[in-house]
Amino acid sequence: MNLFLSQISAIVWKDFVTELKTRELFSAMFIFALLVILIFIFSVNLSIVKASEVGPGILWVAFLFSGTIGLNRSFMLEKENGCLMGLLLAPADRTAIYFGKLISNFVFLTIMELFILPLFMIFFNIDLIEHLFPLLFVIFLGTLGFCALGTLLSSLASNLKTREIMLPILLYPLLVPVVIGVVRMTGQILAGEPLSEMMNWIGLTTSFDIIYIGVSIMTIDHILEE
Amino acid sequence: MADNPKPDSSESAIEVRQLRKEFGVLKAVDGISFDLKRGDFLSVFGPNGAGKTTLIKILTGLTRPSSGTARVAGYDVAEGVPEMRREIGVISHSPALYADLTSMENLVFFGKMYGLECPEEAALAVLEDVGLAPRRHDRVRTFSRGMLQRLSIARAILHDPSILFLDEPFTGLDIHASNVLKEHLKVLHNKKRTILMTTHDVSCGLEMCDKVALQVMGQFAFFEDIKDIDKENFETMYFDAVRNNQFTMGIRPH
Repeated sequence: MNLFLSQISAIVWKDFVTELKTRELFSAMFIFALLVILIFIFSVNLSIVKASEVGPGILWVAFLFSGTIGLNRSFMLEKENGCLMGLLLAPADRTAIYFGKLISNFVFLTIMELFILPLFMIFFNIDLIEHLFPLLFVIFLGTLGFCALGTLLSSLASNLKTREIMLPILLYPLLVPVVIGVVRMTGQILAGEPLSEMMNWIGLTTSFDIIYIGVSIMTIDHILEE
Repeated sequence: MADNPKPDSSESAIEVRQLRKEFGVLKAVDGISFDLKRGDFLSVFGPNGAGKTTLIKILTGLTRPSSGTARVAGYDVAEGVPEMRREIGVISHSPALYADLTSMENLVFFGKMYGLECPEEAALAVLEDVGLAPRRHDRVRTFSRGMLQRLSIARAILHDPSILFLDEPFTGLDIHASNVLKEHLKVLHNKKRTILMTTHDVSCGLEMCDKVALQVMGQFAFFEDIKDIDKENFETMYFDAVRNNQFTMGIRPH
């Protein structure tokens, strides 16, 4: 295997082995997302408002806020014991480190989302089965954008004392276009519209995903430098 | 890599010319120049805040110099090429090891990052070298400071680098662990590895090295071959420098 790809897979392997042993990341993200949904289910009167109208916003608040916990933890793991220094001293392109962390974050968050979806379906009494594939596509686009930008900014924030505060402050404003896109698309999917009806939103979200990844590739070298 | 050719074995391992690193008004490294040939062992002494760690960070490509040049294994450190990082190993105060992975998993991971063909075999070989093979399946979190430092040596030499940078490697070690580390360094020196070590341990540093430098306020106030110095005078000079945090006997730039 090409060295670049084997370095990416080594980082993903390392993150998975660590997570399998500690289960810190998944459990923290899952419990937080579950709590967000539970709080909303008790605060929204579903006999007055339609679940398909408030559901998308609640679902993405749960995904994004719990994802932020995962992003913070992900780079804190690299800072402990000076591990990031060890990574930076390896003869690896900085983009390999970025893509390794991006894939790990993306897979962990996606697994958490797949566990949350059935619970969301039960609590809000929404049938997601018939909309499953379009919904998974939208979740893929949203999660990719979130992780692409989040991985870059968490690497930037990891050098700051106030990293837990700085990451959301930096991340959420820049993520607005993707959040609007995925929330609107999720609402349209739950209302029974096909993906072909939301090409503008798909275009917008995909464009921002590409922009986030492109900017990350261009800047990660400088961001990871001490 | 046409403008960054790898030198043959007769050339210098480290060449530093008027190296400077400034953080605002603070000059962490202030015009340092020196050469090390392949197989040299340089001990750099100096009080806290003298810029020793910054010097190592520049030479290992972790931070860029403000001005001046440095070539390590023939590569310009400012270029930050991966080929240079393949030639160096670094041991610092922090072990750069993942606490929740076992020692074997840590080394296999770094072996993959260095592109070793058989990372498992290489990991086992260096674990045996540092005497940690029986603990290869234990999580690093359970290791003592001395064991962590030995594992840190194993990580640093896993890819068989020609140049080693050690940033205060004896910090926090008990006498036994210090002796074990010294033995490993002697073996590496005998294998003609170039070693640059910063330390506060004068007897240890002078015992092993063949060149000595004293860094004060970002500058090399002293740089000599070990055979040309009087160890007792050097110790007095070093303790004066630490006490005053400046070189009271007059700066003698190299």
